[in-house]
Amino acid sequence: MVNEKIKISTRNLNVYYGVKQALFDINLDLFEKKVTALIGPSGCGKSTFIRCLNRMNDVIDICKVEGSIKVDGEEINGKEIDVNVVRERIGMVFQKPNPFPKSIYDNIAYGPRIHGLANNQDDLDRIVENSLKKAALWEEVKDRLNQPGTGLSGGQQQRLCIARAISINPEVILMDEPCSALDPIATAKIEELIDELKKSYTIVIVTHSMSQAARVSQNTGFFHLGKLLEFNLTEKIFKNPDNKMTQDYITGRFG
Amino acid sequence: MTEHIVKSYEGQLQELTNTIIKMGALAESQFSNSMIALLKRDQDLADKVSGKDFLMNEFDIKIENLVINLIALRQPMGIDLRETVSSMRISSELERIGDLSKNIAKRVRHLTFDVPSEIADSFKRASNVVQKNLKDVLDSYSKRTKDTAFRVWNSDLQVDELVNLVMAELLDFMKINEKNLEISTHLLFAAKHIERIGDHVTNISENVYFLVTGDQIKGTRSKKVDKSVET
Repeated sequence: MVNEKIKISTRNLNVYYGVKQALFDINLDLFEKKVTALIGPSGCGKSTFIRCLNRMNDVIDICKVEGSIKVDGEEINGKEIDVNVVRERIGMVFQKPNPFPKSIYDNIAYGPRIHGLANNQDDLDRIVENSLKKAALWEEVKDRLNQPGTGLSGGQQQRLCIARAISINPEVILMDEPCSALDPIATAKIEELIDELKKSYTIVIVTHSMSQAARVSQNTGFFHLGKLLEFNLTEKIFKNPDNKMTQDYITGRFG
Repeated sequence: MTEHIVKSYEGQLQELTNTIIKMGALAESQFSNSMIALLKRDQDLADKVSGKDFLMNEFDIKIENLVINLIALRQPMGIDLRETVSSMRISSELERIGDLSKNIAKRVRHLTFDVPSEIADSFKRASNVVQKNLKDVLDSYSKRTKDTAFRVWNSDLQVDELVNLVMAELLDFMKINEKNLEISTHLLFAAKHIERIGDHVTNISENVYFLVTGDQIKGTRSKKVDKSVET
């Protein structure tokens, strides 16, 4: 982990839902163009954590986020900061594929249009094609771009969502259990895609699959009851973790 | 150690450990019986050792199957992964100890007269150290203690020295009378086998250390070379 550039760093990050505290003093560094996996039992705060990174928790009234979240050294967690700019830089893919009820083309073109990234139709066509290519979906859909995105298979829909996320050229992609609804082949395609995408993007993935975390990530963080108990090289976590709780969790001994 | 949530997984790992312990106990008795057979020229006991060697091979095959099943069906992580991998390696080391013990036993037939008591005593000194190390390293495996594993690892040079002493005595014995040549040749091989068994015991100690700590044993062993036995 030495000599890596830090893309996102959180310091003393505390999150509350009403009176219930969901995260306790999270200090975590995410390295640029690396895949960081977040693991831990349900309700441990890993989803809450990544939702902080593009301020998705803003939409929950009772949710209060305290502490520092810096992207490239700049604070993103404050009322004076434009949330749309944050989300332009930090895209997200969810557990269940959620394409817009629009054509495949419009699913991708929507973001670039509202962010004014294309000057003309040719520009927009190029962005759509490039995004679908980067998401390894182009060959499968290039002849039916006008058909609804919801008509694709689950795995294709998820890659469509990834294409949509990268269409506005973000710096970071957050993935919240992106493969939990997919079969092994579709999962393998997403994992191959993650390997490819990490050349250009910083990726954070929340997963319940230990083997997936082991396969795709370089660093792994283990959350438990709202605390980050261990953050280490993925190899270290799965071969010889420092923390006893991590050991119990990854080996299936958790009580 | 807390138990696995899935009891059958716990059961499979436990079976692996138990099989190693049983195989280790057999390796201990094979080695010590082969030494008794050699030094007492006990042909019946030597035959018993040779006849039991297939059991060591069966243990080795059983452990290999258990390990492959664990990797394929459970994808062990952390301590379980280290347990699985080191068990397979310890099993091959034990299997080699079994082979060498059998080889010592097979030499009993070629002893035309009793091993002279002085040489027998030197043999005992060397094999006792190796037997104790084997026992200790198997204890350190079943109790998961890294300190014992380290001590065993660090005592290999003592074994080498004691074996060199046996060999020096055998050379002298050969020089006295050429009738001593045949028996001495077999005894030289036996001495070399004791040293080799010592090496396998050391390899086991490295695996136990890795299993317990997740690290390789580091450092240099204390080197003390006795010039008088260098040949």
